Amino acid sequence: MNIAVLIKQVPVSDNVSVDPETHALIRSSSEGMINPADRNAIEAAIVLKEQTGGKTVVFTMGPPNAEKALREAMAIGCDESCLITDRCFGGGDTVATAKVIAKGIEKYGSFDLIIGGAMSSDGATGQVGAMAAEYLGIPHISEVSSLSCGDNGNIIAEKRYQGMQVKIKAVLPALVTVNFGCNEPRMATLRSSRAAKTKPLATYTNAELCMAKEDTGLAGSPTVVTDSFEPEHAKKAEMLTGSPAEMAARLKELIDSEKGKE
Amino acid sequence: MNKKKIGIIGGGISGACLGYHLSLYDNAEVTLFEKDTIGGASTSKSAGTVCLFDDSINNRYWDVRLYGFESYLKMENEEKGSAGFDNTGTLVVATDEKVEATIKTGIALAKAAGYKGEYITDKDRIKEILPDISTDNILGAGYTNDDGYFDGTMISNTYAKKMTQNGGIIKTGVKVTEITKNGNKVTGLKTSDGGDYEFDAVVDCTGPWSKFTGEMVGLDVPMWHTKAEAFFLCPPGKKLSYTFPVLKYPYFYALRAGDNIFICKAHLSMDLNNPMHAGHWDPDKLPPTGGTDDYFIDFLLDQLEARVPGIVDSGLVSSWLSYRAEPADFRPILGKTPVEGYILATGYGGNGVIEAPACSRDLAKLIMRDESTPVLDEWTFSRFVK
Repeated sequence: MNIAVLIKQVPVSDNVSVDPETHALIRSSSEGMINPADRNAIEAAIVLKEQTGGKTVVFTMGPPNAEKALREAMAIGCDESCLITDRCFGGGDTVATAKVIAKGIEKYGSFDLIIGGAMSSDGATGQVGAMAAEYLGIPHISEVSSLSCGDNGNIIAEKRYQGMQVKIKAVLPALVTVNFGCNEPRMATLRSSRAAKTKPLATYTNAELCMAKEDTGLAGSPTVVTDSFEPEHAKKAEMLTGSPAEMAARLKELIDSEKGKE
Repeated sequence: MNKKKIGIIGGGISGACLGYHLSLYDNAEVTLFEKDTIGGASTSKSAGTVCLFDDSINNRYWDVRLYGFESYLKMENEEKGSAGFDNTGTLVVATDEKVEATIKTGIALAKAAGYKGEYITDKDRIKEILPDISTDNILGAGYTNDDGYFDGTMISNTYAKKMTQNGGIIKTGVKVTEITKNGNKVTGLKTSDGGDYEFDAVVDCTGPWSKFTGEMVGLDVPMWHTKAEAFFLCPPGKKLSYTFPVLKYPYFYALRAGDNIFICKAHLSMDLNNPMHAGHWDPDKLPPTGGTDDYFIDFLLDQLEARVPGIVDSGLVSSWLSYRAEPADFRPILGKTPVEGYILATGYGGNGVIEAPACSRDLAKLIMRDESTPVLDEWTFSRFVK
């Protein structure tokens, strides 16, 4: 099974700058890491590849330094990678991003399955996977908790839906997004990190993808971010001191005083 | 009684420890300024190893090492956990005769002070202590189960608490923006929250920030930044079946961190002429995690394959980069400077947790009584002027 894995490089901390005009994150202002749910996607892909053969190719759209995330994904076990990067792609919303990613995947080759994380830790829209599937004309299953190969070239996914645990079968090719924590991601090792330096990494700019300007970046975004701000934290912490009995009594007071409040 | 007013800039191990030692003097009025949290910057990335014998500090300064170790044991005896002591023991490997001689001298000093220590040449015994080690190409190893490693952040906060109990004042979240002078004499400092303070002496305990702090008084602090690149490894099988000791080689060291293993390049192996090792950088731009160089992975892989092959296939949990404040001779810069009233307590390199207690004790004596000590005479700023 040839599997494409979609990952995103997200800021490590919340100490990241925001463009005052576009309200987009300035990703180069903070150290990046692989989006946590995408680590689960990488693990799911590698497990399936180990069961079925084939290869895993990891894709990301981002600034040039997103190469670091791809090298790490290959150190974890992906076979090849593709960096989709161009200034004209920057600042795009989920629609514009999904279009670019879909184009990049089509250009790279054919895949039986595409796996991504259900949600990113920065934007957290959970939309790009489903949108990319639509642009690729393939079925998608989102927020999956487990994934396995079925018979006759299909995939079986489990997820929670309206309080029920459901099992869904999809004919391949298909796209699946997996929940954070759905598996235990393996780690890169020193040996695999060294080997990853020489694994194939393709770079696609718009010269390779030939997308119209009105389909990319801000111009290709039907949504507009009007503001980005850090929410105010109204709650405060009270440090309890004293003997265990005194702290327990105070804790009970606090709990009793909060009962009935929203 | 006329009190001497001292302002300390920096609340890491250096500043917190000095603040405590100054607060022991009845005629000292001490205020410490820390722009973030106590022990939260480079101190928090310290391994905290205070070994009874290794090569991190020359055996000539045995009394400095012993005072630090026993200060932290005393802390732990007063309140368990207040120094974050993990009593894992230490294994120091002799890769050549020079290292072997250093280890044997250190063992003799430790035993003279009443601690256990043995030099082991029986390779089976070494593998009993650390099963994942390779005993090829080693002469032997020094071992004690009396030491281990501490927690620099815990220690800094314990010193800070003791300092305030003695009447010292600590201001966190406050950045020093200006050091005021009258001619060539320091008169005080100003802070980001609008504070304006008068001091008889101002002490720079800012470590990797010392070059920037020194510029505020027109002083060029002769210091490099060397990179402290560290990884956290998850051992094969996720949990070791033995207590991983502090492990010391000339080029790297390792210790347990929960179920993981913390591993870092040794600071004495840094080459100040190598731009991959040393330079002048901005510590404020350090990321909280990551930032390590690719060459470090190659270095570590080669070292582990040769030295500790049992853990070479560990998972990489995380990594971080810190900057050590390193003078050219790898010794701290302590004491008076050409700017009157401006004192340095910086350049500890990778040895702040080891050296801060003895150096702070001596610096407090210098500041309060104008009495120097042999260590201060040796680690003085004026050695660079010569």
